[in-house]
Amino acid sequence: METFLHQVVAGLASGGIYASVALALVMIHQATHLLNFAQGEMAMFSTYIAWALINAGVPYWAAFCLTIAFAFALGLAVQHFIMRNIRSTSVLPFVIVFIGLIVICNSVAGWIFTYTIKEFPSPFPKEPLFGQRFLSSHELGAISVTLVVLIMLWAFFRFTSLGLAMRAAAQNPGSSRLVGIRVAWMLALGWGLAASVGAIAGMMVAPIVYLDPNMMSGILLYAFAAALIGGVDSPGGAVVGGFLVGVLENVLGAYVVGNELKLLVALVLIIGVLLVKPSGLFGSVQVTRV
Amino acid sequence: MAAPLLDVVNLHAGYGLTRVLHGISFGLAEGSITTLLGANGAGKTTTLRALCAMVKPHGEIRFGGERIDSRATEDIVRLGIAHVPEGRGTFVHLSTEENLRLGAYVRKDKAAVEQDFDRIYGYFPRLAERRHQQAGTLSGGEQQMLAVSRALMLRPRLLLLDEPSFGLAPLIVRELFSILRTINERERVSILLVEQNAAMALDLADQAYLIETGRVVLSGSADDVKRNDAVRASYLGY
Amino acid sequence: MSAIAPSVGAISARPTSERAWLLIGLAVLLLAAFALPFVLSSYRTFQFTLVLVYAIALLGLNILTGYNGQISLGHGAFYAIGAYAAAILMDRYGYPYWATVPIAGVLCLVVGFLFGLPALRLEGHYLALATFALGITMPQLLKNKHVEHWTGGVQGIVIIKPDAPFGLKLTPDQWLYLFTLAVTVVMFVVGWNLLRGRVGRALVAIRDHPIAASAMGIDTAMYKSLAFGVSAMYTGIAGSLGAIAVQFVAPDSFAVGLSIGLLTGIVIGGLASIPGAFFGALFIQFIPNVADQISKAAPWAIYGIFLIGFMFLMPMGINGAIRLGWARFRHRKSAAQREGG
Repeated sequence: METFLHQVVAGLASGGIYASVALALVMIHQATHLLNFAQGEMAMFSTYIAWALINAGVPYWAAFCLTIAFAFALGLAVQHFIMRNIRSTSVLPFVIVFIGLIVICNSVAGWIFTYTIKEFPSPFPKEPLFGQRFLSSHELGAISVTLVVLIMLWAFFRFTSLGLAMRAAAQNPGSSRLVGIRVAWMLALGWGLAASVGAIAGMMVAPIVYLDPNMMSGILLYAFAAALIGGVDSPGGAVVGGFLVGVLENVLGAYVVGNELKLLVALVLIIGVLLVKPSGLFGSVQVTRV
Repeated sequence: MAAPLLDVVNLHAGYGLTRVLHGISFGLAEGSITTLLGANGAGKTTTLRALCAMVKPHGEIRFGGERIDSRATEDIVRLGIAHVPEGRGTFVHLSTEENLRLGAYVRKDKAAVEQDFDRIYGYFPRLAERRHQQAGTLSGGEQQMLAVSRALMLRPRLLLLDEPSFGLAPLIVRELFSILRTINERERVSILLVEQNAAMALDLADQAYLIETGRVVLSGSADDVKRNDAVRASYLGY
Repeated sequence: MSAIAPSVGAISARPTSERAWLLIGLAVLLLAAFALPFVLSSYRTFQFTLVLVYAIALLGLNILTGYNGQISLGHGAFYAIGAYAAAILMDRYGYPYWATVPIAGVLCLVVGFLFGLPALRLEGHYLALATFALGITMPQLLKNKHVEHWTGGVQGIVIIKPDAPFGLKLTPDQWLYLFTLAVTVVMFVVGWNLLRGRVGRALVAIRDHPIAASAMGIDTAMYKSLAFGVSAMYTGIAGSLGAIAVQFVAPDSFAVGLSIGLLTGIVIGGLASIPGAFFGALFIQFIPNVADQISKAAPWAIYGIFLIGFMFLMPMGINGAIRLGWARFRHRKSAAQREGG
């Protein structure tokens, strides 16, 4: 029973990471109806930047903030210089560009930082907090950071005028122009925010899985599964989905499929949700007019 | 006579290869209600869209003396032109109040914006009742009122209305139009009204222009146009 | 209008003199291809064998993604199935190499078709996502304990390169090249007939105007599932040939990079183009060799830059650029003739 509880709780810790990346995916999907396949690699690259800063002597939380700023700029640049200039009715050119981004991020990271696995520091103490045995301090810290970020984002979108404008631009760009919202800027901001959230997830997961260019590819799959389960248009759904997937992965990995096949869980979830209920738990069914 | 608030000269516009407007010219005096009439496809909606740069305008458009025909929609809004589009353009997933707040997005006077909420709810008490409701769940008439209110939250100098009566019961339309008349008189908001419902539009407006296949074919005061035989036969049904 | 227009029907529209030249050119190319293994070194011949293998795989992927618009980011999986089928049949059951190729083809045809059925319900980037997930998990699936007995687990399977038959005076590399060339010619002739005719037009119609196509009576579901099956068959055949050429299969050879490489190949060569398969194959075979000398990461960086760059500059790939250039040349020539005459 204790090990089961441990699996569940550890699943919540990784679930927080999946929830963050899933949220970033949902944010971009809401604004552009695109699935950003490159979300994971962008987060990985940002995490490398954090590592480089820390290695150069920058204190952890300063490096954390600088990395967030870097990721924001990266997301903004990708949207402004690349995504914005692709005009197509079919998704294929966008998918191709996303794959291109994945490959560039991965190879540039490998080139600059080499492919050897690196340790990434955790800002949290080594001993488990409160003397309990279920969660390491880092896992607890990661969950907390995730929750803080999610709450801040929620408050931003709910209570600020800029957040409202971004929501409006994502839902209805035509009407947004008519009230004076600069839709292109809102899109760029959205990409920047999504990239920042991804970077935070990367920095929280790197101490656990160690930093290497392929660190995020599995996590991306889990995040997609989470976003699909929650409903790819529902930010709240992404969060719920993330924690759900984290727990499922750990529990199924421990008791059903074994650790090497854990990724299979993500594959089955993705295909299962897409076939059975593509709108997810909280999403709305899309009706296309002919 | 004072220069018109809105002066349109030889406006051409279209969608891709299809030209819809073939040289429209008209003017709108400050403080007046002017209506553009015409049948389906005549080019009335395209005219409003061209004014807001939602389609690319070719020709001269002057607002308050300044040329606006090469500006972006977002900048035209900041000059004080509010457009209530065909189909209302409601933000259906946001609440009534959020829709209204977006109308005031470009305004810098925060305190006055809060006061305007009260003013708008005064004109449209039904919106006050539904202020936290999701806008997509409002009835057709309420959504139209919301669309007009959102435009008014800008405190515009010029209000563009595209077929506000569409799909609404006559009673609701009458209510809406009387509120529009009040707003025009009390707050000096100039109104450019595009309508298929010629009878109601001519009752509300001061000036009228008749558009057929992208050209102005008749213009004058609303009373004169109402009495015109051709108009009576084709558009007023008597 | 789609920016990625197919080359369906273009050749029959050209004047007979041009057609004659094209056929002569094709014959010359075939002769050169045939002579190649006798002129080049063993290693180069091996490399060109792989070019042919990739060309078949790329034509397969193009049938599905280029012509029919179903995005597959996991086609490496079919390549892997074909490769492992050949390896297992040869190593565990002693099948002759030439028999494994059609068996791999039929196997992948069936598997692909079965895949195509649920794929009918997935549109655009959802299908891309599902196939992407498949591509990423493939190595794990191959390493899995339960199938280790067949797949040889992490170490994979080693197979022996076949000798030339009937005592012909050819080295194994030369023979394998010619064998692969023969299969390539067959696959391309079949593909040409398929894609230039009614089937090709139906696939494109389904890609561009699915609702209109089905309203016109095209059985969209059947065509789409078949496209998946045929596409998988081509790629599976390529996989089996590739395994025989490389003499080795192991799970990590079939990671998501393979699927990405195939996608890059059809983008570079030209979506919905048949000759493009060769341009793409040359690219994905030789660029890594050249770029590897700069750094381990360089090939992928180049792939990425080309992928994005081509979307902006050459959305129709090399083949499309050539055809565009040729069309402009002909236009200018005929305009000059009209003015002069």
